[in-house]
Amino acid sequence: MAASRRGSRWTRAHAERLLWRAGFGASPKEIEFWAERSRERAIAWLVHGGRGPHGTRRMVGPAPRANGKPLDPVNEWGHDMLWWLDKMVRSQRPLQEKLTLFWHDHFATRDQDAPLMLAQNRKLRQHALGTFPALLRAVTTDPAMQSFLSLVDSEKSDPNENYARELMELFTLGVTGGYTEHDVREAARALTGFKGNYRQGRPLTVSYDAERHDDGAKRLLGQRGRLGWQDVLRIVVDHRSHAPFLVAKLWSFFITEPLPRATRKRLARVYVGSHHRLAPVLREILASPALYADLGEPRMVKWPIVQLAGNLRMVGRGVDTDDWAWISDMMGQRPFSPPSVAGWDSGPAWMSTATMRARFLCATWICREAPVAVKKGTVDPAWKPAEHVERARAATGRPWTSPATDRQLLALARRFVSAKVKPGDAVPQYQAEITQAALRHLLLSGPDACLC
Amino acid sequence: MHCDDFSRTESQRRSMLARPVSRRRLLQAGLGATISLYAARAMPLARALEAGEASAAAAPNARALVNVFVPGGLDLLDTLVPIGSYGRYAELRPAIKVAEPLALGSTGFGVHPALGQGLDGGLKGLFDRGRLGFMPGIDYANPDLSHFNSRHFWETGVVSLNPAPGWMARWVDRHGDADNPFQGLSMNAGLSPLLRGSANPVAAVQSPDAAQSWVPGVWGEWQDRMMEHYSAIAARRPSAPGPAAVFAAARQSQFVARTLKPYVKDPRTHADPLAPPVAYPGGENGEGTNGFAENLRYLAALLTLPLGVRVATVQAPGDFDTHDDQAQTLVNDLGQVSQALSAFQADLDARGVADRVLTLVWTEFGRRPKENSSAGTDHGAGGIAWVMGTHARGGLLTPYPDLNVFDDDDNLKVTVDFRAVYASLLEQWLGTGADEVLPDARSVGRVALVA
Repeated sequence: MAASRRGSRWTRAHAERLLWRAGFGASPKEIEFWAERSRERAIAWLVHGGRGPHGTRRMVGPAPRANGKPLDPVNEWGHDMLWWLDKMVRSQRPLQEKLTLFWHDHFATRDQDAPLMLAQNRKLRQHALGTFPALLRAVTTDPAMQSFLSLVDSEKSDPNENYARELMELFTLGVTGGYTEHDVREAARALTGFKGNYRQGRPLTVSYDAERHDDGAKRLLGQRGRLGWQDVLRIVVDHRSHAPFLVAKLWSFFITEPLPRATRKRLARVYVGSHHRLAPVLREILASPALYADLGEPRMVKWPIVQLAGNLRMVGRGVDTDDWAWISDMMGQRPFSPPSVAGWDSGPAWMSTATMRARFLCATWICREAPVAVKKGTVDPAWKPAEHVERARAATGRPWTSPATDRQLLALARRFVSAKVKPGDAVPQYQAEITQAALRHLLLSGPDACLC
Repeated sequence: MHCDDFSRTESQRRSMLARPVSRRRLLQAGLGATISLYAARAMPLARALEAGEASAAAAPNARALVNVFVPGGLDLLDTLVPIGSYGRYAELRPAIKVAEPLALGSTGFGVHPALGQGLDGGLKGLFDRGRLGFMPGIDYANPDLSHFNSRHFWETGVVSLNPAPGWMARWVDRHGDADNPFQGLSMNAGLSPLLRGSANPVAAVQSPDAAQSWVPGVWGEWQDRMMEHYSAIAARRPSAPGPAAVFAAARQSQFVARTLKPYVKDPRTHADPLAPPVAYPGGENGEGTNGFAENLRYLAALLTLPLGVRVATVQAPGDFDTHDDQAQTLVNDLGQVSQALSAFQADLDARGVADRVLTLVWTEFGRRPKENSSAGTDHGAGGIAWVMGTHARGGLLTPYPDLNVFDDDDNLKVTVDFRAVYASLLEQWLGTGADEVLPDARSVGRVALVA
């Protein structure tokens, strides 16, 4: 039985959960749009695209700018990540964008020239919801990846094992995937032959030179032959460890609950049965009841870039400053610069006193500009505490908060509007504005805002 | 270009640490003895956060251990030059040899001239005054030449690829406090792996200013009140690991901010209440040292305040993975290390806290004695570490490896196990048992390193 037919309950909280996990959050209107429809339709839109809250438009919102100018992702510091952040904020294919981030973490590459990194990013996006073998081919032949993991110019006289090892350990089979050092060496031999075409000492493109390839007999994961690079990719993808490894990694990207053994088997079957297409597995995962567990107490720590993009998306603000580049770095995640080939440590590892303070700073940067900044004259001193809280929620895109947090927000509103005000006197305008500013900030900077 | 392995370094550690640390894994890592510590994680923290301040104030003169990590694998031979066997040294290093090392008295050894840079003769000056003890040949048996693996061993204090909390994190769990994050201080935005994985709180701090919060449109006492509500929100203690980490970080970051608030720079004059009494390289902002000098100067200040800092970590700038052009790299990067560390020591002196601070400087491995064809050296064994401070035992504390007898991979023979140094620091400096933190403490020997 398909998981999508189970658990038919569908509320605003379900829609909100799905849009955060499968995307970068959403504006209140977008959440309402899906809450009024069904889980199946929301998932179909996420996985396949089509008509959504903004019709069939691919990007919604103002074009990105920094210092009043269009972005220059190749030449300007930080603009590469702003270029991508803009897509996270405006794309109407949020799952495709979220998976592009997943694949960037999975096939983590760094320290390469911006044009190569951007080109790789486009490939990840293009294949994000396609088939894994096509994605793996694109990554394996990608100049940025080849250069990062020393595959380019690895030739028969001296095969470099770097890519071969990561291909099995991190990309397809997992560290306990059942391959040996011998397999690494044999795969490295089979992967020889790529040649870099350089300009000013940097590989711009990669071509294949059969002369440099070791065409001798090899034995890889039990298969023999004069294996070449495409054989290596086919063999690792067909290996019994691959499907369970990949579906488990995908699961844990979307769901914090442990993956039950039976579900893992089922997901692996779906994946293999569809000839390694990603969409069927994703449909299953997104429909899984575990994704909607604990709606009143979210357990996933938002990735820093997800919180940042989500803040902008929720409040309907575009990318308008390059400050996001250093703020995201302080929060612990700079896209295009993963700490290593193994990507980022996520979950509780995102948090330290310093990164938490940076998430607070992120809220500050949201609250200092339109549309969240408190505009003079827009706050009515007559608002009662509860209305203050409600207005602040509306101004910040209605982020999730726990009942305990709600009580604190109300307590703050009561305290702020009544401070130094004699009974019967009017609340000064500035005091009402401070109340709004404090509430809006807390809604975006508190611990609740880090979870989804 | 980096060696391939260098790019792998972080990665492998991450893929490894991403695995959950189960009781079984801890046992595999030989940490059975410290297992009881992890039970503490599940217990609710009963005391109020403010108790941290009390605990810090209760032992104002407690000793502190500072760990400085020099990344990449610092070369022994060119750092501590064997003048007594200069001929053999020159034979091993025809292209890159240090032509004019600064002799260390009549020891038969000299240091790279860059170590003479800095206040009062730099690190060489500290050695001359008996405040610095070199430990040549430091490593472990059957050295692993991967940056990642070796670093992981040093970080955890266990020669095993199994995941484990950092060795300083384990000390914090054993001897720290349930409330005071300053006890384990990482002077970087991210938490050092040495401090990662503790149940007791630790902090990552760059400066008092960086720890503060700024809220547009909310100032002065209004902001203080707002942050009281932030703290009240953060007081909740969810049990799932993700939310638990988020709420703990919120509480602790607010505690750190509140505690450091009196020490932020004056917003108008930019006067720094923690301004150092000595000059650090790069001027006030430590320019050109990638934050190292700034990290050290704030660390010196925080060690002086009654915060209860017991263990701290800092990462040195530069990349000592000198596969090529080693000579030039050492001139620049060792010079920065010497200038910043000697300023740090002079600062501690001037602030009157030098007597309770000991610094260990370490790197993940040594380098091959014979230079390579690109004027550099490849990964090797038998590296270098040193202790510095008013209570450091000066001199050469461990035997220098024999330059004529190499191991099977043409590397120097290891003369001291780094865990012997860790065990000695725990016992001789922090005054706590070694085997409660280091599973191999009994078998690794000791080095007298405190005077």
